[in-house]
Amino acid sequence: MAEVPKNDEPTDATPNVSEVETVDAETPEEAVAAIEAPVERGEPILQVRNLVKHFPLTQGVIVKRQIGAVKAVDGISFDLYQGETLGIVGESGCGKSTVAKLLMTLEQATAGEVFYKGQDITKLSGRALKAVRRNIQMVFQDPYTSLNPRMTVGDIIGEPFEIHPEVAPKGSRRQKVQDLLDVVGLNPEYINRYPHQFSGGQRQRIGIARGLALNPEIIICDEPVSALDVSVQAQVINLMEKLQDEFNLSYLFIAHDLSIVRHISDRVGVMYLGKMAEIGSDEQIYDHPTHPYTQALLSAVPVPDPEAREGRERIILTGDVPSPANPPSGCRFRTRCWKAQDKCAQEVPLLAIPERFVDQDTPAAHESACHFAEEKDVVHAA
Amino acid sequence: MATPASRATAATAPPPASTLLEVRDLRVEFHTRDGVAKAVNGVDYAVAAGETLAVLGESGSGKSVTAQAVMGILDVPPGRITSGEILFRGQDLLKLKEEERRKIRGADMAMIFQDALSSLNPVLSVGDQLGEMFVVHRGMSRKDARAKAVELMDRVRIPAARERVTQYPHQFSGGMRQRIMIAMAMALEPSLIIADEPTTALDVTVQAQVMDLLAELQRELHMGLILITHDLGVVADVADRIAVMYAGRIVETAPVHEIYRAPAHPYTKGLLESIPRLDQKGQDLFAIKGLPPNLMDIPPGCAFNPRCPMAQDVCRIEDPPLFHVTYEGLTAERRSACHFWKETLRG
Ligand SMILES: Nc1ncnc2c1ncn2[C@@H]1O[C@H](COP(=O)(O)OP(=O)(O)O)[C@@H](O)[C@H]1O
Ligand SMILES: Nc1ncnc2c1ncn2[C@@H]1O[C@H](COP(=O)(O)OP(=O)(O)O)[C@@H](O)[C@H]1O
Ligand code: SF4
Ligand SMILES: [Mg+2]
Ligand SMILES: [Mg+2]
Repeated sequence: MAEVPKNDEPTDATPNVSEVETVDAETPEEAVAAIEAPVERGEPILQVRNLVKHFPLTQGVIVKRQIGAVKAVDGISFDLYQGETLGIVGESGCGKSTVAKLLMTLEQATAGEVFYKGQDITKLSGRALKAVRRNIQMVFQDPYTSLNPRMTVGDIIGEPFEIHPEVAPKGSRRQKVQDLLDVVGLNPEYINRYPHQFSGGQRQRIGIARGLALNPEIIICDEPVSALDVSVQAQVINLMEKLQDEFNLSYLFIAHDLSIVRHISDRVGVMYLGKMAEIGSDEQIYDHPTHPYTQALLSAVPVPDPEAREGRERIILTGDVPSPANPPSGCRFRTRCWKAQDKCAQEVPLLAIPERFVDQDTPAAHESACHFAEEKDVVHAA
Repeated sequence: MATPASRATAATAPPPASTLLEVRDLRVEFHTRDGVAKAVNGVDYAVAAGETLAVLGESGSGKSVTAQAVMGILDVPPGRITSGEILFRGQDLLKLKEEERRKIRGADMAMIFQDALSSLNPVLSVGDQLGEMFVVHRGMSRKDARAKAVELMDRVRIPAARERVTQYPHQFSGGMRQRIMIAMAMALEPSLIIADEPTTALDVTVQAQVMDLLAELQRELHMGLILITHDLGVVADVADRIAVMYAGRIVETAPVHEIYRAPAHPYTKGLLESIPRLDQKGQDLFAIKGLPPNLMDIPPGCAFNPRCPMAQDVCRIEDPPLFHVTYEGLTAERRSACHFWKETLRG
């Protein structure tokens, strides 16, 4: 197993995530009971701690030798609260989808924990894991490739019932699928049609219906509207917001479109090269960002409204994102950062409320992993 | 075929002196197994030297097909140009022989595509591909062409151009590949560039770099630029004028600031209202109801009528021509293909 290199050491020092009240289940029944227990609105439902995923880089065809690792996710911690939408943004390759797969237990973590109602799902197995998997569902980006073209819509949406028959006994499945079609705004009579008979937006609705089939508590949405045209995108976003209220869902909403993320999220985390650079409420991140990367990212978003655009400061970053197989020492953003000093190459900045803002009643007082965190409004016209 | 007389006025009015390209009543169909898709249904637009025209529209609205017809790289068959003129410096390209068109292509008009990786040759070094332009069109020696390639790479800010000129496309990042495509398009200093979603596949920070570069080179070389995009934000930063496409037609064209201030077509209005804002939280998103039409079965009248909140009986019967939009204070030309443009403009 890949060792976490020295310069990434202090990943455990994240003071502002909530305390984990672990549940030590003696039996599978106890574990399942804890998983099925309700969580009150606003309480943490998912607690991610120092999560790491390294993909080994190997050389040689017959005898494989590990020559390094892609540090896709490299020590991140955050909470997801019941009933909220946590947005995750960052450029492609920064590890967003890997986080999603780790939370879905589709990938095995290299290190770290993911507590779901107090139990570490990276260590669960058997019935307890199955119960978790029922409660955490996913909606994927690409409505064109994520649906099996040879299955009818009814089979696609009903497929999860094969693994979890207790949710919908055999005789009731067709009705249940038709109800789901109705819930996502599709004609229940389309149950026997095939994916290619639907438009992109309709396919995404099918994906959402499938995600809802098992009455999950959490839905991980990985770029759910990125492939859709604006007019259709708005329809799908409105639907997702409506379903969240209706079914009391918690969303982890991954996207690279910062405007969409602001619209749908209560809180937002900004990732860079496998780490969380900054996290806070939508107002804290968009109106009071303190991390240079967040500021650059926000300032690069092209804004349509000429009045909102004029007088906005634009930060044009030079260069590209470094390889996650060989991230820069210290602060990973330093090779593109205009504020970088010697300290940035030597010390990993912790994700914490910057000292200068601690105990201050300001929206700038939120977690930011920068040695020289400073507030800068790049979104509003000066 | 419905070509209302009033629409023809757009095409027959004499173009301004500096007009570089003018597309008149262009129509393109695709004959497929399932039927005839009417992809382009009477497009009119014009670009002047030094001007940036943004062509905005959702996928399938006919933006790329129009561009392919202009460049002469349309898939024929299944595609077929059924009518129209494409005037480049006053000469109708559709009347030229393929050989003559090939001379213009690359040298005097060039195209930049969304996906640089599949548009560049994977087995040729970028230096050879850039140099090729000078060898073929300018008859330069390989050595001189190589020097030109390095110069171009420098110009589009590829670091260590001299060393990297021998590398292959896959050895560059997405942003750099897109800059190499720009270099290739600019190589012979054409007077017209068509960029088809040049930054769509890139991350925002890289997008900003690439758009800045494109805008800078366009200014320097005083080129006409047609920027095809579905992103209203990208358009706003660089375009002088916008042409909004829907179901193979231009439904609105206006100077960029005017269109944002007050759209004159309900489709444009709906698009603007459906984008969430970066600078405030906002309430419910406005969503245009329904879906774009099937191009094999475009509704009669205004193609947007089934989705339009303003639609009246006339919209279901009469295909609206591109009306002249006028109001106090408007100095440039502005048009809208909506029977109720006045009402739309008023909000
Ligand atoms: N199965 C895998 N094997 C090796 N590398 C991977 C694998 N999955 C993802 N990666 C790498 O991990 C990094 C993060 O990828 P990903 O999580 O998909 O990023 P994002 O979703 O933010 O674009 C990338 O460098 C990617 O190439
Ligand atoms: N090679 C082709 N074969 C068949 N139909 C095509 C082809 N290219 C384009 N079309 C049709 O033309 C329509 C418009 O395409 P296009 O101009 O690419 O749209 P966009 O506005 O997204 O660039 C498509 O929806 C499709 O119906
Ligand atoms: S820690 Fe240094 S390099 Fe990193 S973002 Fe802050 S100033 Fe820039
Ligand atoms: Mg991803
Ligand atoms: Mg296109």
